[in-house]
Amino acid sequence: MADAIVRIKDLHKAFGSLEVLKGVDMDVQRGEVVVILGPSGSGKSTLLRCVNRLEEPTGGEIWFEDVQVNSPKTNINEVRERIGMVFQSFNLFPHLTAKGNVMLAQRKVMKRDKAEAERIAVEQLTRVGLADRVDYFPAQLSGGQQQRVAIARALAMDPHVMLFDEVTSALDPELVRGVLDVMKELAKAGMTMLVVTHEMGFARDVATRAVFMDGGVIVEEGSPAEVFDHPQHERTKDFLGHIS
Amino acid sequence: MGDRIVRSMRLRRAAAGALLIVLMLSVAAPALAMSTSRITIDQKTGGLQTRFTYQATADEDAGVDRIDFLFPEGFDTEDVYVELTLLDGLKRIKADYEVEILESGAVSISFDPAVPAKSNLFIEVYDVITPIAGGTYEIPVEYEAVTTDDDTETRKDPGLTVTYATPPRQEALSRWLENQSLVRSWNSVKFLNIFFKPQHIVVAFPLLFKGWLKSLSLVLLAFPISIIGGLLIAFMKMAKIAPVRWIASVYINVIRGTPLFLQIFVVFIGFRTIGIRLPDFLSAVAVLSFNSSAYLAEIFRAGIQSISRGQFEAASSLGMTYWQAMQHVIIPQTVRRVLPTMTSEFILLFKDTALLAAVGIFELMMYSQNYVARNANLTAFTVAAIYYLIITIPLINLVGRLEARLAQSEGGSSAPPKGRHKRGVLLGSGAAAPEGAPAPGLGPAVGSGPQVDFDHSAAKHESR
Ligand SMILES: Nc1ncnc2c1ncn2[C@@H]1O[C@H](COP(=O)(O)OP(=O)(O)OP(=O)(O)O)[C@@H](O)[C@H]1O
Ligand SMILES: [Mg+2]
Repeated sequence: MADAIVRIKDLHKAFGSLEVLKGVDMDVQRGEVVVILGPSGSGKSTLLRCVNRLEEPTGGEIWFEDVQVNSPKTNINEVRERIGMVFQSFNLFPHLTAKGNVMLAQRKVMKRDKAEAERIAVEQLTRVGLADRVDYFPAQLSGGQQQRVAIARALAMDPHVMLFDEVTSALDPELVRGVLDVMKELAKAGMTMLVVTHEMGFARDVATRAVFMDGGVIVEEGSPAEVFDHPQHERTKDFLGHIS
Repeated sequence: MGDRIVRSMRLRRAAAGALLIVLMLSVAAPALAMSTSRITIDQKTGGLQTRFTYQATADEDAGVDRIDFLFPEGFDTEDVYVELTLLDGLKRIKADYEVEILESGAVSISFDPAVPAKSNLFIEVYDVITPIAGGTYEIPVEYEAVTTDDDTETRKDPGLTVTYATPPRQEALSRWLENQSLVRSWNSVKFLNIFFKPQHIVVAFPLLFKGWLKSLSLVLLAFPISIIGGLLIAFMKMAKIAPVRWIASVYINVIRGTPLFLQIFVVFIGFRTIGIRLPDFLSAVAVLSFNSSAYLAEIFRAGIQSISRGQFEAASSLGMTYWQAMQHVIIPQTVRRVLPTMTSEFILLFKDTALLAAVGIFELMMYSQNYVARNANLTAFTVAAIYYLIITIPLINLVGRLEARLAQSEGGSSAPPKGRHKRGVLLGSGAAAPEGAPAPGLGPAVGSGPQVDFDHSAAKHESR
């Protein structure tokens, strides 16, 4: 417990009268790869987005390292600097090249000088296998390449945690591999990751823990083998039956 | 045509004949020799058609057989005609005469029979074209006297000395055009004469240039101010604090809901009555800026809101503040997206400067109106139209190209490659792009490309 990097306590989130998260508790240890599964609308994305406060929780607490994320006193931008996020729809900045995308926040948020930001950008793009695409604009890249740029963009900020929200769902099947490989490498390198995904193979291979959500609560959690092979709850069995 | 041009002139019954006679008598001088009482010539600047009048009494001792008006070089007498009145005392007498135009340009009037001694002569030579180059010219007069013993001798008259100013170049050109046969036949077509009269084109073009510069400087000053104002109002309209949003909404609605014409009068007349006095030019810039800010605010707001939320979230997730995200992520994309509509707005604003003529701003429209009123010819409007079009046509063209480029770059992430290639060919070099675009078919199902609900059609941009 001492080394938990993210602590979520009785998290509630409602959109108006719609209660989406109904009391979620979760601790994420440094170096863990937590895979979050669950049917559509169960609140997986909302949970992830609460962690860096893209959504404002309506109840409970979220702690990142030693700061409470959902406290009005917290400078949320400093927290976000340390929490990388990758979206289903990439959200690359279309007016900037791959390198420009990776450099922007380094320059403006971390105040790195141009040469350093550029060096790190090239380094991170190389890491995700795009050394030869640094000067391409997003529109000139395939979806898989774009998503890898987005990962490099997040990594360049030296995040302590990475949030992945269905990052391969928008990709053509043949492009999924490349992105998952990058994520695997990242996990191997010891990155703490919260991953919402439907990629069971990836979850089995990489995750240290699997969390099954439904109806705004965590229904079941454990090692991937436990959850996938011996689900305890009907809803989990149901869900796994549907997707495999 | 080396020969003399000979023209017989019928004595015309002048409408103002009686008046003319009275006039002549009142100025008649005592006659010793052929005494010239008056020679005049109209116009003060050269290059114009004018009338040369000569008024004299024949010598006591001799009749007059012939009078030569020795127009010097530079005068064009090719198309002159002559009106002649001959009086014996108060009695008008019949004169038979012939007019010859000599090669030298001299106008020679021969009488048959000779004009009796002591009779009064009044001669008008019409349609003399004076020399375009300014200067002082002498027009000597010679006549052939026939004495009682039937001798003839050539006598001289002091003649006339005239001084002309050189007309401005465009005036000179206009006057020169006036006499070109091609121009004349052009002008004989009523439509061409009214809207495309060459004489007016050459004068109006340089004259209206000043108005064009004024219109341009108005819009070139007002538009940047409007951009700043528009951004301000756009952000006010998206502000978290409701009253700020309301102020922006009211401003936008009032400005867009009333005619610019009315706004001009409010600023020019209303402000004055409540004691705010600005120089006219500044008032004009102010009213154009007020007006355009409201339109640009809506263009900017729509543009900003058309950028997908994901862009803002991505920037936020990297730790960027609201204004950092705006400045480095949202605004640059918005600019590209609103550029066509903004350009259309610029075109509208430029054309709207014409409304300022109503309050006496000397811009292009005002110049052309004045010219038209002075010259009773609409050619100046055509010239004004050309001046407006010099600016608007290239910009309209630019809007089209910006739109095509935008469609190309935005379609880039989600449109099938087929469409992209086609546009690429049409555009030649479209958006700046390094070598090696991805192979067809690699486009993602959901792109990071912005939403497509933003209306970038200039045609739909409301006019006012
Ligand atoms: N901004 C919002 N406003 C209102 N309702 C929202 C908003 N965002 C999400 N919701 C609702 O919250 C619920 C949970 O959404 P969420 O995106 O977290 O689900 P999810 O588990 O990620 O589903 P999926 O697998 O389809 O992505 C859904 O019913 C959704 O409609
Ligand atoms: Mg989701």
